[in-house]
Amino acid sequence: MATAQMPITHQRWARTPFFFNSAAQALRIGREQAANLGELLEALRACPDHSIFQHTFQTLREHHFIREGFSNDFAHWAFAACNEVGLAERLASVDVREYTSIQSLRERIIGIVEEYVQKNPRSRDRAALEPFYFCASDTIVIPTPFIARNLQEFIDGLQKVSVYSVHYHFIEARLRLKLNSNDFSVWLDEELDFRTVADRINRIDIYTSTLQDVRRKIIRILESALA
Amino acid sequence: MDQNDRGTVTPEAAGVNNTRQEKTEAPPVERRKKPRISTTPPTPPPPPVLDDYEPIIGRPALDELRYLARPLRTKTVKMVNSTSMGGGVAEILNRLIPMMNELEVSTKWDVITGGNDFFEVTKGFHNALHGGEFHLTKEHVDVFMMYNEQNRQRLEFIEDLFVIHDPQPVGLIRSKERTRGKWIWRCHIDLSHPNEEVWGFLRPMVEQYDASIFSSPAFARRLAIPQFLFYPCIDPLSEKNKELEDSFIEKVCDDFGIDRSRPIVTQISRFDRLKDPVGVIQAYKLAKKYVDCQLVLAGGGATDDPEGAVVLQEVMEAAGDDPDVIILNLPPWSALEINALQRASTIIVQKSLREGFGLTVSEGLWKGKPVIGGAVGGIPTQIIHKLTGVLVHSVEGCAYQIRYLLTHPEFAAQLGRNGREHVKENFLMTTNVRRYLILFQLMLGMARPAAFEVK
Repeated sequence: MATAQMPITHQRWARTPFFFNSAAQALRIGREQAANLGELLEALRACPDHSIFQHTFQTLREHHFIREGFSNDFAHWAFAACNEVGLAERLASVDVREYTSIQSLRERIIGIVEEYVQKNPRSRDRAALEPFYFCASDTIVIPTPFIARNLQEFIDGLQKVSVYSVHYHFIEARLRLKLNSNDFSVWLDEELDFRTVADRINRIDIYTSTLQDVRRKIIRILESALA
Repeated sequence: MDQNDRGTVTPEAAGVNNTRQEKTEAPPVERRKKPRISTTPPTPPPPPVLDDYEPIIGRPALDELRYLARPLRTKTVKMVNSTSMGGGVAEILNRLIPMMNELEVSTKWDVITGGNDFFEVTKGFHNALHGGEFHLTKEHVDVFMMYNEQNRQRLEFIEDLFVIHDPQPVGLIRSKERTRGKWIWRCHIDLSHPNEEVWGFLRPMVEQYDASIFSSPAFARRLAIPQFLFYPCIDPLSEKNKELEDSFIEKVCDDFGIDRSRPIVTQISRFDRLKDPVGVIQAYKLAKKYVDCQLVLAGGGATDDPEGAVVLQEVMEAAGDDPDVIILNLPPWSALEINALQRASTIIVQKSLREGFGLTVSEGLWKGKPVIGGAVGGIPTQIIHKLTGVLVHSVEGCAYQIRYLLTHPEFAAQLGRNGREHVKENFLMTTNVRRYLILFQLMLGMARPAAFEVK
């Protein structure tokens, strides 16, 4: 029986190259602020999408170096300013990567806070140590000179781009793609036919890794595919 | 500067009468070397260039700055403030302007002029905007507007972007309708509780700008114009923050009588009650029951400020005759010595009772030190509790954290590592440049924010 020889991984070429981009943000101070959980709920319903984005997706980028339990600004405020540990835990468990729209993420956060204040009615009006100030970020996409047409070029590019680029492609991407995936995995799957590798990359835990860790883990997975 | 046998600066050197010293019967034993600090300011080093920042922020981040600057190369920017020397704003502009020009974004810096009467009014405004008592009179308004008008006539407004810093030159906005550029008001002060009379006078002028920038959401007012958030920043290559040879750190400690083989807890701040130096001594004394350490309180303001001298006296009395409390009243040109003290420290404290942004916290974090900060002003922005430092609300809390950090060095080291990264990400001069470039692009319509769909 004749067997078709599979191409070795580094010889696979993409029809569409991967263009590494990065992103820069301008941070605006929003109109909403909350001095207790009741006000937080109101503000969560009224604030623009860019505020939800800032305090969830974007704050992960700003605190990309922390491994020890930084999740989102709402969880941190519930813990540090409101001393509502149970609420903080639940908010911290919200994994932004499970959300492909800001609306669904907003609904989830509102749902958690609503449920908590219903079960703990006195928490609704209890004054926080400091207010929660809503901000919003405007993102500008920045092209980089790095382009990949095969796995080796992809690894080279990934080693050279900033962590902002890693955040843009690996975390922010799902809002653009409307998929529970990321730019890296989609390209590796669709262009180089690396479905297993793409899946492994998509399962990297961003909440227990820094963005540099994420980059290193992706490269390790890809290098093992090259070997 | 003279030191006594406790390693503190002598009251004579600080211009303070110390009755306790007069009661000393035996002459003090000089067991520490005298600090050798120049009595005149040293020549400033040449400013760094962009490439000098590459080892700190990395080539990709530097390339992104250059990319963000590229579309702005044909544009011109004017920045205006009220002083070219002294104060945090001038310090920032002295670095920001050369960096912008090196990025080929042509940026000019103008300083407004005024008589003593103008600066008396603006000092009154400054205090009033921080919540102080002030009765605004027609004379104040006339003086303020007259000098703003004079400067408006003197200066040329032909640029594409104008960044006007703080309230003193805010009236320059009256030139807006004769210019084609965008006007941005950069407010460096805390407007959270302003005197309503003064703010009521300034606000209509502020709201004629196209956008404003504040240092913290807590410092902002609700305005009819967009408000952007730019955190204050430190320059990692300045004398206060650059890397130092260990031999220099050793020499500074030796000069000040600090024993590097034992833990060092340091607060760097002016001798000001709002920095709570006496509270720091109380916390140190509570902690010292359980852990060995020295306390260094170093700062200035006690020589040229009568209130500072009084606070220094209170600090010395609170320290008593403990030889492990080292109090240093330093001249304004002691950046290298302060840098060395911070780098020699095991823990850095900024136990303020009230604070602006409190950039000494970022200075400590940048040196990889665990920082204990009072939960006031901009300190909680820099210290994420138990992640990039620890926040305290009391003397007892501060004492506990000193004990905990001295006995849990791995946790302390982790806070230091995270703290440095936090500063690198948010509070460095290069981040400030990046923010300006993004804002300029947005203001000039050169970039549009990326949209994400709601559904």
